[in-house]
Amino acid sequence: MSELVNSRILGLGHHVPDRVMTNADLTQLMDTSDEWIQQRTGIRERRYIREESGPADLALPAAQEALRSAGVKAEDLDLILLGTLSPDVDSPASASLLQRRLGVRGMPAFDVRNQCSGFLYMLAVADSFIRTGGACHVLVVGSEVHSTGIDLSTVGREVAVIFGDGAGAAVLGPEPDSRKGVLSTHLHSEGKFAEKLMIEVPTHRLHPRVTEAMLDGPGSRLWPRMEGRYVFKHAVTRFTEVIHEALAAHQLTPADVDLLIPHQANLRISQLVAMGLELPEEKVFNNIQRYGNTTAASVPIALHEAVTEGRVRPGSLVCLAAFGAGFTWAAALLRW
Amino acid sequence: MRSTILGCGSYLPPRAVTSDELAGALATTGPQLTESTGVSTRREAEDGEGPSQLASRAAQQALAAAGLGPEAVELIVFATMTPDIVFPGPGCFLQDQLGCRTVGAMDVRGQCAGFLVALATADRFIRAGKAECVLVAGAEVHSAALEYSPRAVAVTPYFGDGAGVVVLGASPEPGVLATVLHADPDGLERFWCEFPASRHLPSRMDIEAFRAGRHFYQLDAERMHPQAERVLPEVIGEALERAGVTREEVALFVLHYLDHRVARRAGRAAGIPDDRIVATAEAAGHMAAAGVPIALADALAAGRVRRGDVVCAAAFGGGMAWGAAVLRL
Repeated sequence: MSELVNSRILGLGHHVPDRVMTNADLTQLMDTSDEWIQQRTGIRERRYIREESGPADLALPAAQEALRSAGVKAEDLDLILLGTLSPDVDSPASASLLQRRLGVRGMPAFDVRNQCSGFLYMLAVADSFIRTGGACHVLVVGSEVHSTGIDLSTVGREVAVIFGDGAGAAVLGPEPDSRKGVLSTHLHSEGKFAEKLMIEVPTHRLHPRVTEAMLDGPGSRLWPRMEGRYVFKHAVTRFTEVIHEALAAHQLTPADVDLLIPHQANLRISQLVAMGLELPEEKVFNNIQRYGNTTAASVPIALHEAVTEGRVRPGSLVCLAAFGAGFTWAAALLRW
Repeated sequence: MRSTILGCGSYLPPRAVTSDELAGALATTGPQLTESTGVSTRREAEDGEGPSQLASRAAQQALAAAGLGPEAVELIVFATMTPDIVFPGPGCFLQDQLGCRTVGAMDVRGQCAGFLVALATADRFIRAGKAECVLVAGAEVHSAALEYSPRAVAVTPYFGDGAGVVVLGASPEPGVLATVLHADPDGLERFWCEFPASRHLPSRMDIEAFRAGRHFYQLDAERMHPQAERVLPEVIGEALERAGVTREEVALFVLHYLDHRVARRAGRAAGIPDDRIVATAEAAGHMAAAGVPIALADALAAGRVRRGDVVCAAAFGGGMAWGAAVLRL
């Protein structure tokens, strides 16, 4: 039987729409203010699609960039994974639409729907397939179009100001050196809190799953709902916990981390987590100021920017961590 | 380390919907519906019951068969195309309902091949040493998404509700002998559901789209059948070769496709005798991600297969995704 090999990220890419929505732009749509948004979330602006396009459309240039950077052709992919909570269409999976946009066929393509933890769940899937010889090259894309799924009125402001559109992609392949690449992945969930952050409708718990009455009016169940303070509190605890878990699995401590890339949920969460781990500012990467929360896309977008800016170097210990709806949370350690 | 099946479970909601019962809303007759889809009755979940609740019952059965409690589960992989709510996915609800520890709960979307996607993923996690016990669930409540009007006459009668669960565990002896997955995005629209659709401006769902019924399944079964008949025999051959097993060594073939008569034809084309085929949609209609684990659990419960027997499951459907798994029970 073949020995297990590690997986590593061979290439990264990201793509955001060119339409910038500043906090000031949002004040035209709802009763809010730049000061309020920045104070609570750190967000200054986010991107929204300009024309009709879905996550698979945003994913395409991100995936192409990651493939180019990895030196892998799309037709040589063994598996295509897409993470989103805002799929292009109800069915099939957005991964199928991305496969079509890439112009390839034959390899499996499926979605992993784990919200803000989606990229890390996919990383664990890709790593498992590669480590066991089930795939050589895996494309992993987190991609979201939130702007068509939020209530951009004053009623929806608590949630709406946070989210932005974008896509981030990684191509993974085998790494023969067991000290390098993806060292481990750690996945968690707690469904008890599912309703603290959710979109309810359409719901296959009801016949029919959507009615005209559900679509109408302020506070429609079509839009995301969030108990912000609740989510915030759990996020800080679980982020910290799972980062410690990942480090402990390798007898490492926070002091060994060269760069922490937290899912960009809220700048205040990232800051509290970093403070708790006693990580100095230069060891934590944040870009939520420019993109808002792009859920499944935020980690690969941030990782790509961090690598491009030279903040990740050969030998760097990179910790990726996420927390979000489900609740789900996760971490991964990578030796670059 | 390899993975093996520790226990299986299935659950069908008790309410049976006959073709006669459906016929009125679809402006046809019961016998015509049964004739056109091959399905005479399908099950319907109760209002308030989503796929996670159906899967919960199947999971309890599967865990009992495995002699395990919910605390033994180290990962949940849940496949569906009809989730409880938009997000989070049913895996999270199942984690809570079963009382599992705060283990990972992954939700995958692979339509009719969804269970095989979940099974292959679980198998890889175990082989990679990331988990020793994975609960793999497939569940659907199609009835909540279906259209009950004459234009859905060639769609609605095919589908039913139900759930199946397989508990996979680490083992030195392989139980999952091989998994093979494929997809081809040509002709995706043959099994399609547009709304809610985040790609639409200004909103993923609106009154116009709703009134036009664009949130209902669009199905072109006639154009799916030839592809099913082509790829099912192919992928069975590929999986058996990878598993190093001959057709004769396989006790049962579980063929999962929308139309059970087409599935059976594909099985015959692959040289499989009729008495070793279970076409999943025959008993209670097509259940995208649930048909395969239900058939496995039911075949075990009925004594049609026993521990040690080799089973080959193959599926084709939306995406267009297909695959096969060879399992030693």
